[in-house]
Amino acid sequence: MDVMLTVEGLEKSFKDKKVLKNISFEVRKGEIMAILGPNGAGKSTTIRNIMGIMYPDKGTITFHHYNGKGIPRNKIGFLPEERGLYKNVNVMDILLYLADLKDYPLDKARERALMYLKKFDLEGKDKVSVEELSKGMGQKVQFIASILHEPEFLILDEPFSGLDPVSQEMFKEEIRNLANNGTAILLSSHQMNLVEEMCDRLFMMQQGQKVIYGSLDEVKRKYANFKCTIHGKNDAARLERIDQVRRIEQQGDASVLYLEKDVEPLSWIKQLPDDLVIEELKLNRISLHEIFIDIATNKNLMKEGELNA
Amino acid sequence: MRNTMKVAKWEIKRNMKNKTFLIGLFLTPLLIIGFFVIGSLFDDSSDKEQTVELYVNDEIGLLPAVEETISMAGFDWEVEETDLSQDAVRSELEETENTAYLFLTAQGLNEGIFPVYMSEEMPPYFLEQLQILETPIKSVQLAEQGLTAEEMAIVSAPILFEQQAAEDEAKSEESRLERVVPGAFAGFIMLSIVFTGMAIFQSASQEKKDKIAEILLSSLTPADLMQGKIIGYFVLGIIQTVISLVIILPVAIWRFELQDAAKYLLAPELLFYILIACMGYLLFSAIFVGIGATMSDMTTAGNFQGFVMMLPFLPFLFIGPVVNDPSGLWAQVGTYIPFTTPGVLLLRLTILEEWPWIEIAIGLAILAVSIWIFMKLAGKIFKVGILMYGKNATPGEIWKWIRA
Repeated sequence: MDVMLTVEGLEKSFKDKKVLKNISFEVRKGEIMAILGPNGAGKSTTIRNIMGIMYPDKGTITFHHYNGKGIPRNKIGFLPEERGLYKNVNVMDILLYLADLKDYPLDKARERALMYLKKFDLEGKDKVSVEELSKGMGQKVQFIASILHEPEFLILDEPFSGLDPVSQEMFKEEIRNLANNGTAILLSSHQMNLVEEMCDRLFMMQQGQKVIYGSLDEVKRKYANFKCTIHGKNDAARLERIDQVRRIEQQGDASVLYLEKDVEPLSWIKQLPDDLVIEELKLNRISLHEIFIDIATNKNLMKEGELNA
Repeated sequence: MRNTMKVAKWEIKRNMKNKTFLIGLFLTPLLIIGFFVIGSLFDDSSDKEQTVELYVNDEIGLLPAVEETISMAGFDWEVEETDLSQDAVRSELEETENTAYLFLTAQGLNEGIFPVYMSEEMPPYFLEQLQILETPIKSVQLAEQGLTAEEMAIVSAPILFEQQAAEDEAKSEESRLERVVPGAFAGFIMLSIVFTGMAIFQSASQEKKDKIAEILLSSLTPADLMQGKIIGYFVLGIIQTVISLVIILPVAIWRFELQDAAKYLLAPELLFYILIACMGYLLFSAIFVGIGATMSDMTTAGNFQGFVMMLPFLPFLFIGPVVNDPSGLWAQVGTYIPFTTPGVLLLRLTILEEWPWIEIAIGLAILAVSIWIFMKLAGKIFKVGILMYGKNATPGEIWKWIRA
């Protein structure tokens, strides 16, 4: 696939603290690339460096298909995490101003703005002052502003935060549409279920460092080991003696057994001891959410498999 | 530069559509006029209160001369003849205000002392004003001594010490107007654009509060954004000036009878004055935009920010000393402090006939260098400050950004 952006060896320090350490990844045309990590991992800092709002101490950021100097701001759409709009202006004015800053023709921008407002259930709100909009409506307007100028590359920092499920679906659908039409999308989010549903590849980071980088399938295959949840009163020491169990978490009568990577599910179940109390048993793969929590809380659940796909 | 102009256009459009700004735009000149009108209302009413009823008991036939003298002096006195005796006057005065009884007696003519009875409430200086009657009375005294009309004229003429102007009085008045009118005009422009420019700082801090700065900075550089604001608010200041002048000028011309002054406005000095005013704006706008970027909210402004906001008022401290001595030490000090240079220079150049060119050159050079330095500093502060949401920067932090 056609590479749109390459980030290589990015480093950044605030005071004496290194907040980005050797960050490298690429974003390709028509894909949704997720950048994940707990709060303070360095996601927004990475994005700000890409956008030229901050400058890295080390490393390079290359926009392919762009010969000019600096950043092709007009070709990039950006929805920052900390976002807002001017309060006392009307919706159409602010949309046209932001499109104008991207050098997008105003008549076309007006046409597209009306189309998107209709699409996002905001028809007739173009003359309404921003301060009269609800929070969700405001977020929709910000999203429209970031895609109005038909960007080739779109950066969305936590686009789903604070949205109701219906609006989330709308955003998801539109983001997918954009990717299908060839827009390269870099998306940062905490909502793992959404990321799992949408992204093609992901870059997970913690404390400014890469932890996982690869396609969703690869990551799931390599990281999403099996886990077995058993409901029933069982002694932890007894459970620990079971073969191929890496770690156990107990809460009340429920025990979660995290299994080793190369477990054969069927034969593993067969070798469970007879005296185990089982009221209910579930065997499934660890979700992206759990991988994320695991990294965020520094448990390093799957230590052996540092992946570099 | 294209982005700068887009930001400037946006700031102008945004404000011109903003009700608060529009109200302020028209209210400011109306308030100034309001002060004129209220002031003149008070003037009129105080005049009315102080009309004096002067009753004259005339034994020596001087009443016509007294009336003529008083009307020539333009005093607001109503003169009436009375035949009330001195004994009856006291009870008559008890219930009255601004009333006086003058007894022009034959005895008084000989001795030079005339009795006056006044009500308790009298305008100040009434007795001093009454002294004006000395001339007609003196004439009668002298006539009684048998002097001829010529002799009387010489003797009764007051001795005056008159300063002789080096040049023609009318001409000097004219040249004074020639200097004052453009100076006052430029001063007005400067105050108007600098005060409108104070809104820059609100615009910058509002962008932080509304968290839109990052979206804007994904489309343009901080320098574009900052310069766009400075230019935008300059134009808004000019709009404010023009509207104020359109509203205030007719009233001011009528009130202060300045019909002739308009022709002095288009003096060559005006361009120079306006240049000084614009330099003043550039300096303060750089400071406002930088400080605005350090504040998340006007209401939580720290002492440091508050102090900086007071800087444009600094030249007012110099008005007294500079008017007293436009070439003195204070005037020179004010010329060399960049924050006061524009104000003090405008004032001095308006008053002084001979311009101190060396001081002007040094003052303007310091101002130009200061503008350059403050623009650079503001750029550095703005770049970091505008992205620091929800918190005011401390002077320590600002210092760190400047050094970065």
